[in-house]
Amino acid sequence: MHPDDFDAYWNGVIQELKQVPPAAEVKEIPLRSTEYCTAYTVRFSGIGPYRLFGYLSIPRGEGPFPALVYLGGYRSVVEVIPQGDANEKRERYLIFSAASRGQRNADRPYEARVPGLLTEGVEDPATYIMRAWVADCCRAVEYLLSRPEVDRERVAAVGGNELPLLTAALYSGLTHVVAEPVLFYRALERASGTCAYPLEEFNDYLRIYPNRRAAVAKTLSYFEPLSFAPMVEATTLLWGHSESAGPLAAALKGEVELHSSEASRYRDGVYQEKWLARQLGLGKPVLPAHWQV
Amino acid sequence: MDRVAPEYYGTSMVRPDDFDAFWDRILAQAERIPLQPTVKFLELRSSTEVDVYEVHYDSLDKVRVAGWYCLPKERKGKLPALLQLPGYLQDPPIPKEWAADGYAVFFAAPRGKLRSRAQFDPGYPGLLTHNIVDPNTYGYRGFFIDAVRAFDFLLSREEVNAGRIGVTGSSQGGALALVVAGLRSEVRAAAAGAPYLCGFMDAITLTHTYPYQEIRDYLRLYPEHESAVRRTLSYFDGIHFGPRIRCPIMVNIGLQDNVCPPETGYAAFAAIASEDKTLYPYDQCGHDAGSATHSALIDAFFETHLKR
Repeated sequence: MHPDDFDAYWNGVIQELKQVPPAAEVKEIPLRSTEYCTAYTVRFSGIGPYRLFGYLSIPRGEGPFPALVYLGGYRSVVEVIPQGDANEKRERYLIFSAASRGQRNADRPYEARVPGLLTEGVEDPATYIMRAWVADCCRAVEYLLSRPEVDRERVAAVGGNELPLLTAALYSGLTHVVAEPVLFYRALERASGTCAYPLEEFNDYLRIYPNRRAAVAKTLSYFEPLSFAPMVEATTLLWGHSESAGPLAAALKGEVELHSSEASRYRDGVYQEKWLARQLGLGKPVLPAHWQV
Repeated sequence: MDRVAPEYYGTSMVRPDDFDAFWDRILAQAERIPLQPTVKFLELRSSTEVDVYEVHYDSLDKVRVAGWYCLPKERKGKLPALLQLPGYLQDPPIPKEWAADGYAVFFAAPRGKLRSRAQFDPGYPGLLTHNIVDPNTYGYRGFFIDAVRAFDFLLSREEVNAGRIGVTGSSQGGALALVVAGLRSEVRAAAAGAPYLCGFMDAITLTHTYPYQEIRDYLRLYPEHESAVRRTLSYFDGIHFGPRIRCPIMVNIGLQDNVCPPETGYAAFAAIASEDKTLYPYDQCGHDAGSATHSALIDAFFETHLKR
């Protein structure tokens, strides 16, 4: 169900964000720098106002550089670059790993609980924590695009859920997206068929508060990726099976490649790295040693 | 240059002569601290099939450690039990599926994890190099004992059959499974996937990926500490717990694992003293270590050793 005030709801979020200056504070971290890149911590403000965090890694040498922004991982930890990625990626890409509120280093005063985060305030679209998380992702992209080292023709948002898609719909400037429909896409329908977290959070919540089902469904309707899809112009790699994620892929405005996991982090990882390298004009992907055949 | 086949790589890590004494001393220290568990029923997380509890207990340095405890709603007699141990970046999940299958299950959140952060929190990245120049204060000293004490929690439970407790985990959880199986002879069976924290100093040359990259970062800044780092890590290397492991054990690794190099998994397996041990190397798999197919083997393994 697409709420009538969907646009007003999200315009309100973007307007609220505009009222809060980012006030970014950047500090070099020699421990995470290398001979081919310099690492920084970035602290900046989001709606609330609330102080957010990110790790920024900038290749040494002449820019501008293609950029990757990692957004909205559904867990407490935010890494410099994702576990298992070749560190040498930081020689080729400018990389920004952004923490939404509650994640580590952005967890004072508010610490996100996992499980628990996905249903925090879900009874009301105005108080649902994910409203702020989406705003935090938008603010992260805004900060990234403010960096002069970024090649604005090659900016990819990457994540293991739908938040990169939602961000691309609400904030222009992302040229590419990698996403997977696991949190919000037909959420209650999929939750009813599983007892696995994170969707089990919805089942837990509705077991305790069965009379809130309609309210939860209403809140989640503002986060349904199908409603954002027509606004996503970025070229997208969407992870998923055609029978489940096909309708979402079909609804995306921009070019999309729907790809099923092969249940191998090696095969999936190589596929994604090749896709990114090809799309962002790098040619050969930067792969970790054990993925180089 | 061609790489050495992972099964022949071996390890450069040397087990200290006083390795056993080192750990026996720490275990004795921990022994003096009462577990003092609190077990709180969580109506929100419980279901028609599974009761869920949030547990806290005391561990080394009197750090209060958390975990999720799940019991099948319907139970007759004492239950077989499983200790599950988390990956490096993992927020410990609530293990309802195993409980629905008839096990008492505890998923530990060792110090620094969510719900166990109040007294110790080196962060991620951070834990791997926390006090890495000193084995007596290295971050994993308490972390390993937290895992052992989680096993002790299960041992202490009236509803658990103390002779039928298994341990399992993948990545850091795989390493911790080796540690607990090495430090607690009561472990009936163990399943370790893609074990991390094995062959530390080999891993940092074999791969340039986080989390092992944390050690490379550290040594880039402090190269003068390399021998101290190697010495500390020799007391914490999962490979070195192998000679103490006597229970039935299965280990699965991915031959294209970019996080925990397969070379180190082979070395860890080779060191295990148990006569009942099986290695499952999965080609075309990375850090998943073949979990899509291997999970059914783990189910059957624990069914055999804990339920029959």
